[in-house]
Amino acid sequence: MNLAVPGSLRTPWMIVKRLAAVPLVMLALATMVFIAMRMLPGSPATSLAVGGGAASQSTAEEIAENEARINEALGLNESLADQYTTFLHDVATLDLGRSFYGGNDITKLLGEALPATIELTIAAMLIAVLIGMVTGVVAALRKDTWIDTTTRAIGTVSFSLPWFALGVLSIVIFGVWLRWLPVIGRIPNALDYHPFTNFVLLDAILQDRPELIWPWIKHLILPATTLALSMAGFITRIVRASVLEVLSDDFVRTARMKGLSGGAILRRHVLRNSSLPIVTVLGLQFGSLLGGSVITETVFSYPGVGNLLINGIMQRDYPIVQGAALAIALLFTLVNVVVDLLYLALDPRLRKA
Amino acid sequence: MSETATPSRLRASFRARRLGRGPLAAGSWVVVALFVIVAAFGPLVVGADPARGTNDTLLPLGAPGHLLGTDDLGRDELARMVHGARPLLMVAFLSTTLAAALGIGIGLVAGYAGRWIEWGLMRFMDLALAFPSMLLIILIVSAWRPGVGSLVVGIGVALAPGLARLARALAAREARRDYVLAAKLGGTRSPRILVQEILPNIAGPMLAQVVMTLSVAAGFAAGLSYLGLGIQPPTPDWGYMVQAGQEFLYSAPRLVVMPAAATLVFVVACNFVGDDLRDALDPRSSR
Repeated sequence: MNLAVPGSLRTPWMIVKRLAAVPLVMLALATMVFIAMRMLPGSPATSLAVGGGAASQSTAEEIAENEARINEALGLNESLADQYTTFLHDVATLDLGRSFYGGNDITKLLGEALPATIELTIAAMLIAVLIGMVTGVVAALRKDTWIDTTTRAIGTVSFSLPWFALGVLSIVIFGVWLRWLPVIGRIPNALDYHPFTNFVLLDAILQDRPELIWPWIKHLILPATTLALSMAGFITRIVRASVLEVLSDDFVRTARMKGLSGGAILRRHVLRNSSLPIVTVLGLQFGSLLGGSVITETVFSYPGVGNLLINGIMQRDYPIVQGAALAIALLFTLVNVVVDLLYLALDPRLRKA
Repeated sequence: MSETATPSRLRASFRARRLGRGPLAAGSWVVVALFVIVAAFGPLVVGADPARGTNDTLLPLGAPGHLLGTDDLGRDELARMVHGARPLLMVAFLSTTLAAALGIGIGLVAGYAGRWIEWGLMRFMDLALAFPSMLLIILIVSAWRPGVGSLVVGIGVALAPGLARLARALAAREARRDYVLAAKLGGTRSPRILVQEILPNIAGPMLAQVVMTLSVAAGFAAGLSYLGLGIQPPTPDWGYMVQAGQEFLYSAPRLVVMPAAATLVFVVACNFVGDDLRDALDPRSSR
């Protein structure tokens, strides 16, 4: 795994440059969504009109009729260049159109779904870091015992985990058999939640409704842990390596001589030194985490962007698919920028060079 | 001669004796082998038709004539489990092959050609990598039409850039070596140099990476078929079986547990086998 810090981030000027790249990357991503939707074999209208393959019983006239309707709604009758201009204009003005079914404003749908996905991924990252730190430190301190071997074996698995299988099995164990945790949705309907920011924690504070918080956390635990496990494996390996490396360094010996306790050494030196690679992993793995959230949200009927995307695909609701894909790409790009900027905050060496 | 050198160079870097060391690696090899055997020959042994519904719906485990019971449409669960292994294994294998062909092909050309060809090809790969792989696959599959073919193409395309990067780096290093220069001066044409000189020399580390890609592909294949973007019903498939079974979570959790556990065990075993193979193929990469 390449954990090298990008060499381009050396001066504050680089921060500006990095931020300036965001619109360019976004343009490229938006263009890719545009192309994916229009240039692949079979026009989207045809594939949407025929039906995604599942249960396609429509007659030829129905298909033709659907196709015409979809073509018109999407402006697919215009020239490709016109379509592209319109598309970019719509994206830039956040006017993503309305869904085929129900005629909902896509921007509004995304405004509700994005916060849910952000909550889920942040919770997953926190859990991953927590699990990874604890297991990594324990594995390093118990190096070459069975604990270490087991932890490293679990770390190997993190290359790819079938999220849906994990999620569904956790639903069966904790939801169906033990009945400890809720397995569906984000917040119970009975709670009468009136979203303002759509971030539950923020709304609970703003609207002074602390009773929202616990049910919300309970709904987050299973999906976030499911999502966190694959990332935790990476973090375990990194923390273990950092701890082993740092423990053999001179400054730890000095700290020991100064009479610092093991815990203090761990906090002050080891964790600080492993924070940079951890942030790197969080950044590198965020794309995979977002991809996993698409599946996890579907498993838990969690109302995020991934769920929106999949429902859009299943209903062949093309504007929803496009909007959700753009939102995921945007989130991905922004997180990559944040990770790059975090390097600067965490590693002073990069700042002054 | 380079023709005879091809297998021997790979063999020289392959440490077969390092395979299957430790209970975990050995066990994983057994598990993967078992799954392959079941997928290949299971359907011949299990007589029942996995797609034929009966009136005996939701029979429990151990029901007479239905060892694993039946699903909500009265279809034999054992037959569905056995047949359902095929799509996952097939998609994982085919998409990895496609990713390897695309990735190694592009990487070789980019690394050997250098200059603007390299720049163009690799920026194109960067663009694909700027997208979360899962989203790329979902877009490709849904814009086309869900099924094994589009899933193989989607996963193959999404996983190719990672392999292309490695192939480019390795090929660029080899392209500067004396033997390549000698072949050039000897008048060997570029395609021949690529395939007969450079490819055999990057085969070891490349294959190690391809093997790791296999388990990633298996993970994607399972996840997307769960989403309903894989092989279409009535052909049984573990991912789709889990999705369909979720409706009966409380009355018949086994409909979900069996295919989910099978998928989990298979993908996890693939991870260990991949890790083990990589150690044997590319000893430098082991931690």
